[in-house]
Amino acid sequence: MAKKVGVTINGKTVKVPEGTNLIDAASQAGVEIPNLCYIKGMRGIGACRLCLVEIEGGRGPVTACTTKVKDGMVVNTDTEQLREMRQFVIDLILSMHPLDCMTCTKAGVCTLQRYAYESEIKESSFSRKKFGYPPDESNPFIKRDPEYCILCARCVRVCKEQGTNVLDFMGRGVGAKVVTANDKPLHESGCTFCGSCIDACPVNAILEADRWRKGREWDYERTHSVCLLCGGACDTVISTKDNLIMKINAGGEDGSVQRYICAIGRFGYDAVASDKRVLSPLRRVNGELKETTWEEALQLLSERLTKGKASILLTGALMNEDISTLLKVAEDVIKTDRIATTVSLYADEESMKDSDTADIDSADLILLVGLNPSQWKRVHPSLDASIRRRLSRGARLVSISSEAVDIGEVADITLRGEEPGLIKQIAKSMISKGMKANKELSELTGDTDTTEETERVADLIKEAERIVIFTSPALFRSVRNLSLIKKMDIIAVPNEANARGVVLSGIKPDGKLLKEMIEGSTEVLYVFGEPPVERRPDTGFLVVQSPYMSNLAREADLVLPSTTPYESSGSIVSFTGRVKRLSRALRPYGEAKQHREILASLAKVMGKVIKEGKTDIKKALKGRSKPSPSPFEKKEGLEIDEARFMEETNSCVINSSRLLWLREAEKAVGV
Amino acid sequence: MERVLLKNIENPNSAEIDEYLKAGGYRNVSKAFDMRPEDIIEEVKKSGLRGRGGAGFPTGMKWGFAIADPKFPKYLICNADEGEPGTFKDRPILERNPHLLIEGMIISAYALKAEYGYIYLRAEYPKAKEILDRAIRQAYERNYLGENILGRDVRFHLTVHQGAGAYICGEETALIDSLEGKRGQPRNKPPFPVNVGAWRMPTIVNNVETLANIPYIVEIGGEAYSKIGNPECPGPKLYCVSGHVNRPGVYELPMGTTLREIIYTHAGGIRNDKELKAVIPGGVSTPVLPASMIDCRMDFVSMPKAGSMLGSAAVIVMDETVCMVKVMHRIMKFFEHESCGKCTPCREGTGWLRRILESIEKGNGRPGDIELLRDISEDMMGKTFCPLGDGAAGALRGMLKHFEYEFEEHIAGRSRCKGG
Ligand SMILES: Cc1cc2nc3c(=O)[nH]c(=O)nc-3n(C[C@H](O)[C@H](O)[C@H](O)COP(=O)(O)O)c2cc1C
Ligand code: SF4
Ligand code: SF4
Ligand code: SF4
Ligand code: FES
Repeated sequence: MAKKVGVTINGKTVKVPEGTNLIDAASQAGVEIPNLCYIKGMRGIGACRLCLVEIEGGRGPVTACTTKVKDGMVVNTDTEQLREMRQFVIDLILSMHPLDCMTCTKAGVCTLQRYAYESEIKESSFSRKKFGYPPDESNPFIKRDPEYCILCARCVRVCKEQGTNVLDFMGRGVGAKVVTANDKPLHESGCTFCGSCIDACPVNAILEADRWRKGREWDYERTHSVCLLCGGACDTVISTKDNLIMKINAGGEDGSVQRYICAIGRFGYDAVASDKRVLSPLRRVNGELKETTWEEALQLLSERLTKGKASILLTGALMNEDISTLLKVAEDVIKTDRIATTVSLYADEESMKDSDTADIDSADLILLVGLNPSQWKRVHPSLDASIRRRLSRGARLVSISSEAVDIGEVADITLRGEEPGLIKQIAKSMISKGMKANKELSELTGDTDTTEETERVADLIKEAERIVIFTSPALFRSVRNLSLIKKMDIIAVPNEANARGVVLSGIKPDGKLLKEMIEGSTEVLYVFGEPPVERRPDTGFLVVQSPYMSNLAREADLVLPSTTPYESSGSIVSFTGRVKRLSRALRPYGEAKQHREILASLAKVMGKVIKEGKTDIKKALKGRSKPSPSPFEKKEGLEIDEARFMEETNSCVINSSRLLWLREAEKAVGV
Repeated sequence: MERVLLKNIENPNSAEIDEYLKAGGYRNVSKAFDMRPEDIIEEVKKSGLRGRGGAGFPTGMKWGFAIADPKFPKYLICNADEGEPGTFKDRPILERNPHLLIEGMIISAYALKAEYGYIYLRAEYPKAKEILDRAIRQAYERNYLGENILGRDVRFHLTVHQGAGAYICGEETALIDSLEGKRGQPRNKPPFPVNVGAWRMPTIVNNVETLANIPYIVEIGGEAYSKIGNPECPGPKLYCVSGHVNRPGVYELPMGTTLREIIYTHAGGIRNDKELKAVIPGGVSTPVLPASMIDCRMDFVSMPKAGSMLGSAAVIVMDETVCMVKVMHRIMKFFEHESCGKCTPCREGTGWLRRILESIEKGNGRPGDIELLRDISEDMMGKTFCPLGDGAAGALRGMLKHFEYEFEEHIAGRSRCKGG
């Protein structure tokens, strides 16, 4: 922890960590210093000049965003002179900005609008200039309108910091403009349409493409939620109006490197109101799926479940509360222990259970083992972005993989080769650098040689204070050995949002069982969610409980409409070991119900009243077993094509939203 | 005074290494190598040399900061961007005496333990590029550059990097960004380049003329050097005189020579027997002085007392026929064009100042415009990100201080040169 120093702001004294800048320090004292170019968590750039403050004994006004606190500093933010200067800056900015707040989409949340309102200006003292730059409207995600741009550089900096690096300035002075390379449209510039730039822009210069006339911000209701579309489980804020989603923004804490969502998380919501939705129960009659009532549907299901032995298949995107009800119903009502999960395709029990809780925001050294995250390929996109951001803020990265890894381009050290062997060499190097290991582990590493590179990795580990290792689950056991030598957090990265929750709830990821259900034959197969199964498995009766008409649902005997995550509430355990909550942002569409409601009704039809199941996830999280020396090996049978898995488990979302356009566009430019 | 910086430049082959050696060149490299690096820095401190790039920062002090930083490698950059309008003092060194600069850089690099050097050269000096490239090649051939220089355990590699034609890239941090291949924009200070500069390593940026002084300091010693010119900021100084004088050009004179002497004794006085009206003493970002003030001495200490600055010692002389509104408009056009666009007050402020000045010059000025000009320049002063904005505001403030009546006349429609 940094030392704390005392600083007095407008007469109020607060203690803040050394190195804090004056904007952050002031906000701790409850004082807001107006700013346009500052991004919390990033170094101030002093460009807009709005945050000028006076320091007693100082020579003149200084920018708060670039000034660090010193012990005993006395700061004034609200003198007559400062108010005048701020007014001058706002006045100048207004002279280059349209004053069309009456029709502007951003009204209400535009930072410039707020400052202008607060600064006693009615009209700019200068006649307004116009550039006549055309907007970039050539994609369905993001509209960029340079006419509104106030050149604060926030979009440029967030895009750079996360490594996508699409935007930059062209020209200078009043003619400066935010552009892509060669001023091409976004979709020809390597843009991933993550929309981080939307969240960063303080004005109407970068906005969701479809926002115009979809309501002003003050008409929206905001709900904090979590995206469940991949293993990233990113925080989101969902804005709704009239029970429709109007937009989704990244919801991570301000200034956190994890404040990121990818294009799928931001724009995939189109699917909620699309014709891909299943809005009422459907049963197969004469070879065709026909609408039916919940009553009939559950009656039918109950009959089938009584007659035949049930096998249950669930994805790793189900919420904890749904899982615990499912477990209860399976045990007490359906009476089956055949429960398989898609988690077994990429992870084992140990890796999901014993992974640590980690905070990437404070890591100073990150190791990536057997993983190839990529924002462009949409494989662990938020992990890729978070790591790159963390590197931009001074952390170091070591990548260890048998394959070429995209993020290796920014790694301090890249080790290419079979991972278990390399991990072993690193362990040995650590021990040879004087880090302590027990005898057993020392013996395990006895038969290996170190290399110059693994020695360098060991040096980095030795220097580092907060180490986080992200590993593919298959290598978790090997990697965990390192934590016996030095304290570090180890996270096995799954491909679905609640994989850890599934396992912590007590479901064993049993690959053999899953295979039996998909490739063997079953009497009744009851599927929850959208597993990557394209064809109907050999089963006497197929039930699919899903929000969308997936390929599998199309071949089912009974389809039960469950709610999308946006219409659901509950919790998950993210890959970093955090329990995250989702609140219901929409009333369920049609007759869709959340999994656990459906299960409760089913139990009732089958003559049992069940209370909501409860698994104490927090307690389960704490029950991690202690690491013990294990052989350096890679667990077999957990390899999947991650990009394909992401596509398949989200095929309904992608195919019935504007993401389809993105796929086509990428094909066109040959990504 | 014996010429130091412009020594031998009448010789048509002065840029050739053999001619330079014949005149005693590169002798100070061996002398310096016999000294300890810290002793050289001590001599530079003693000499009282202040940076010739415009700000007049004490060179020895800057070097002291740089070697105090434990990080390596260190980089030495020669600022040859020479972008300030009216400035052409570095040019004769670059084109006629390149080996003096190279010698200065070798010695400086040795003192600073820098193994790599760059000359950041303005794009508009293509001839200097050729000459420097040739001179550097010759210096490599004679082993003044490269590995094991003169058989000693010293290495120094030097390259010329051409700028892309932006005034702001003369500012040292923007220069570094540009050198790194980025769009040149000033960086935050602190950290200063001496600690975090090119590729985040300690970097010493010095002006051409500053570095060209180093061999002489090594030759005669800091003590003797400090007795040249004004003892408060000593040394030989290049003054480049342009405008309405009989003999425009670059003059090497002791620091602290008066404007009067520069204009009348060396530059041959005002052309066509006209009266002197005003002088911009140090490039367009320094405030103008009226004819009545030309007895002040041209150095870093005396000029601020007269309400201006030495800047790049680009003396722009204007006779009685000149319209100050027009001059100011032209200057502001320059600043508007060259503002990098990073910070609001400079980017938008220079734009609006230019627009208001333009309308006054065209005869469309309105009452209250002078007030507005004053307010804007007041609001910009000290609040922009880098000194470029201050320069623009300061130039205008100087103009209004001494020549406000001309602006009033223009607005009132009483000016002789209305519409001019
Ligand atoms: C807008 C601006 C332009 C500048 N242009 C130049 C230049 O062309 N040449 C130069 O040597 N210094 C220039 N400087 C000063 C440099 O930033 C820096 O102070 C100088 O190169 C340091 O060298 P010195 O200590 O030897 O003077 C400029 C500064 C500013 C703010
Ligand atoms: S959408 Fe993402 S990748 Fe594209 S420009 Fe914006 S921040 Fe960069
Ligand atoms: S587009 Fe928005 S975020 Fe980017 S520079 Fe302009 S105003 Fe700032
Ligand atoms: S990275 Fe994954 S969890 Fe995050 S927004 Fe994208 S799809 Fe959703
Ligand atoms: S917030 Fe400090 S200058 Fe913009």
